[in-house]
Amino acid sequence: MPELVPDMNPLALPGAPPSAAATPPGTVPSPDVGPSGVADAGATGGADEGANGVASAVTNEATSGVARTARRVPLASRRFTVEIRQQLAWHWQALILAIAILAGMAISAAILIAAGIAPKDLLNEFVMQTFFDKQNFEAVLFQAAPMIMIGLGASIAFRARFWNLGLEGQMIFGAIAATAISLYEIGPETTRLPLMFAAAASAGLLWALGPALLKLRLSVNEIISTLMLNYLASNFLLHLVYGAWKDTKDNFPHSPQFRAFERLPDVFAGLSSAIPLALFVALLAWWFVDISRAGLYLRFVNANPRMADAVGVPVRKMTLTAVLVSGALAGVAGFVVAAGQEGRLTQSFYTGYGFSGILIAFLARNNPLAASVVAILIAGLFVTGRSLQVFYQIPFSMVQLIQAIIVICVACSDFFIRHRLRPVVGRGA
Amino acid sequence: MPVALELTGIRKTFDGFVALDDASFAAHWGQVHALLGENGAGKSSLMNIAAGLYAPEAGRMMVDDNPVRLAGPSDAAKHRIGMVHQHFKLVRPFTVAENILLGNPLSHVDGGFRAKLRQMETAIRAMAAELGFEIDPLKRTALLSVAEQQRVEILKVLLAGANILILDEPTAVLTDAESERLLSTVQQLARRGSAVILVTHKMADVKTYADQVTVMRGGRTIKTVDPKQTPAAELVRLTVGEAVTTPKRGTGTPGEVRLAIRDLKSAGSGRQALAGVSLEVRAGEIYGLAGVGGNGQSELANAIMGLPGALEGEMRLEGLGDLKAASTSARREMHIATIPADRYGVALSGALSVAENFGIGQVHTGRYGSAWRLASSTMEADAKAAVASFDVQGVRSIRQKAALLSGGNAQKLVIAREFSKQPKLVLAHSPSRGLDVRASAEVHARLLAARDAGAAVLLISEDLDEVMSLADRIGVMARGRIVAEFGQPAERQAIGQAMVDHA
Repeated sequence: MPELVPDMNPLALPGAPPSAAATPPGTVPSPDVGPSGVADAGATGGADEGANGVASAVTNEATSGVARTARRVPLASRRFTVEIRQQLAWHWQALILAIAILAGMAISAAILIAAGIAPKDLLNEFVMQTFFDKQNFEAVLFQAAPMIMIGLGASIAFRARFWNLGLEGQMIFGAIAATAISLYEIGPETTRLPLMFAAAASAGLLWALGPALLKLRLSVNEIISTLMLNYLASNFLLHLVYGAWKDTKDNFPHSPQFRAFERLPDVFAGLSSAIPLALFVALLAWWFVDISRAGLYLRFVNANPRMADAVGVPVRKMTLTAVLVSGALAGVAGFVVAAGQEGRLTQSFYTGYGFSGILIAFLARNNPLAASVVAILIAGLFVTGRSLQVFYQIPFSMVQLIQAIIVICVACSDFFIRHRLRPVVGRGA
Repeated sequence: MPVALELTGIRKTFDGFVALDDASFAAHWGQVHALLGENGAGKSSLMNIAAGLYAPEAGRMMVDDNPVRLAGPSDAAKHRIGMVHQHFKLVRPFTVAENILLGNPLSHVDGGFRAKLRQMETAIRAMAAELGFEIDPLKRTALLSVAEQQRVEILKVLLAGANILILDEPTAVLTDAESERLLSTVQQLARRGSAVILVTHKMADVKTYADQVTVMRGGRTIKTVDPKQTPAAELVRLTVGEAVTTPKRGTGTPGEVRLAIRDLKSAGSGRQALAGVSLEVRAGEIYGLAGVGGNGQSELANAIMGLPGALEGEMRLEGLGDLKAASTSARREMHIATIPADRYGVALSGALSVAENFGIGQVHTGRYGSAWRLASSTMEADAKAAVASFDVQGVRSIRQKAALLSGGNAQKLVIAREFSKQPKLVLAHSPSRGLDVRASAEVHARLLAARDAGAAVLLISEDLDEVMSLADRIGVMARGRIVAEFGQPAERQAIGQAMVDHA
């Protein structure tokens, strides 16, 4: 739009007394208002209103006796304004979210079809094979177990407004601690696995403690501190697997294989105990944020820390607790990968988990139960991605592309949850 | 006088709540037109429609008898409608000139950003001189007082060429003297030909400065009258629908000293917000602290609430010792009730439910379940009972967001929470700011009731009328100190003098 105030002189005082009822000197004609002004009042009824898409104004305008000709409101002036929405019922929010996810899937499907997958195979591969084939679904759940934990870890830290980007570092130290227990054969065989679990949780917690204290005591930005500590952790991991902990059997850069009793057993054939463990932890997290008193405190910290402090919420204590729980969960995720999937400490087992965790927390709006569901869906995407790689030569980066598309769609849907669009009604320009 | 702006049959709903229904009004060139009504009467909504922020669902808007449809504030600016909002829309790190340039980019002026900025600076100086404002266009907005920020807002809309000027509750944040100055300035603008619309709930402003007044109630325009010809009582009756009784102060029965503050100072060097405050508040009395805003009142309130800020000096609560070292939760245990000035900043969380906002006050006592399990149903039942007994209106569900409450009702929710346990000390900071006649009267009645029940009440307010009508003793705060104290009956003149003398 061109600047419509050509005669504006910033020095001039506004509004010299208007000469007549018509257009005072200061008033600038709008492009859509004809010179006729109200001259044709009452000329036409509301017949043209519908065509202009301002149906709600019809009755009012028809009765008010003022009307205009159709030519003065071209189609292009069917405008919308954006308003802030104050509250939206949860089922509408769910519907908007569902539409966003569907839109993301539709775009992803179009891309996959363009990459050469037949549309009928798409449904088969993504839905039928992944979620309705027993063996594949077990694989999905197996993949989902550490993702659930990492997603929960992210959710809980984010609830305290602590942007823990160090989930991978905490996960690495969890796995290292668990491996140390195995390597140095600490404790009897029967308690070895629980000991590894505890060591992993504590190591993740301790690795998160530093940034938490830095933030609370010295206001050091946790985004930077947690992110940078990831590099420390990953290089320390390389130092171990290329050095002291290198497997002497095959000389590859990974730790020696865990013994059978140091690995997460199957509950029954095909179903690793990592899965019930993850679901149990998810329930605990749900209890923590939704049932316990700490959960209420966390909601206040999340909404407005200053206000929370003023009404007596122990803000610092809650933040510290949430960060430590987050670190411990990430540590346990490292344990699940090492003792459940790999059976040893490998050099790059953690890649992508940090990003996935943040993504899961975002999609689930930091809700633990939703995070578990989202983690399973993302794991499904990973498992399908692997089979696409094998059977269709589709690169694995396609999976990341799909992830990104869905996340962007959901992020965009937020706009419709927070705002409403309204057609501009009323008379004239 | 010809009609400048006319709104007819405006309807607007928010998620099913009817904010405006068949609202109509017309402002004339050369006049100050007041829009009078209680909180939630729909004044601001109607003016937001006139300023292009909301689109009406039905109705017609005319500027100079030309029908207009606005798709946003920039559309409104094209029709020379400018609005000064109650909550200022300024970028704090920007200078005055940058802020004004932002809203009015001088696209018809040749030259780069620097040239435009310089031209804007000259324009601001000229316009400010015309209006009698003292404004340095190069000063950063964050450093300006509230009154100065408001002047920047007014300059902004005037420099954008507005000659239909809408002011939303402009005097809510100003002192008596500042209000007088502002309102006579806008009256002058009207005399020069502009149309000024004054949204307010202050009867006195309407009587003195308005040429016309339209009374709104419950989203409808009730009546347009000439304020000079209409008695104030009649205006009040039109506004509230019935007579409001102002609470009687009566005489307090002061007991022992409850709160003792000795030589309280902000720590550190440089300009100190608190420069040695000493005061005592006794049980069963209201101590009113008057003074022009920005003289350390907020810092004192924060110190008593326990918000962060380094302090020196002494602050003791009878029987409980040092208050300075106590955490916010410990203060709650001491039965200190606080009604802060910044309602959504430190008193309520708009994003959380009414029940949660109520329950947070007592959840630590175990009343709403153990640490292991929150008893949400008990909390909701208690909140429901409190909402009913404190007459918090507009609560459609106890689980709705607190942000949906209007100012007066949000304040009542704060009081309901804070008074849910018998308070020993009440700190009320500008408790009726932004509240209408009826809600203010209710808040005042609650404070008096707390006093009569034996609480020590510290009332900090910039509204001298409020302090005069409620307090048993009055202190005047200036430059971070108590500069004078008065017993009742106090002389208004003398209090005002004390404020000015030490400013």
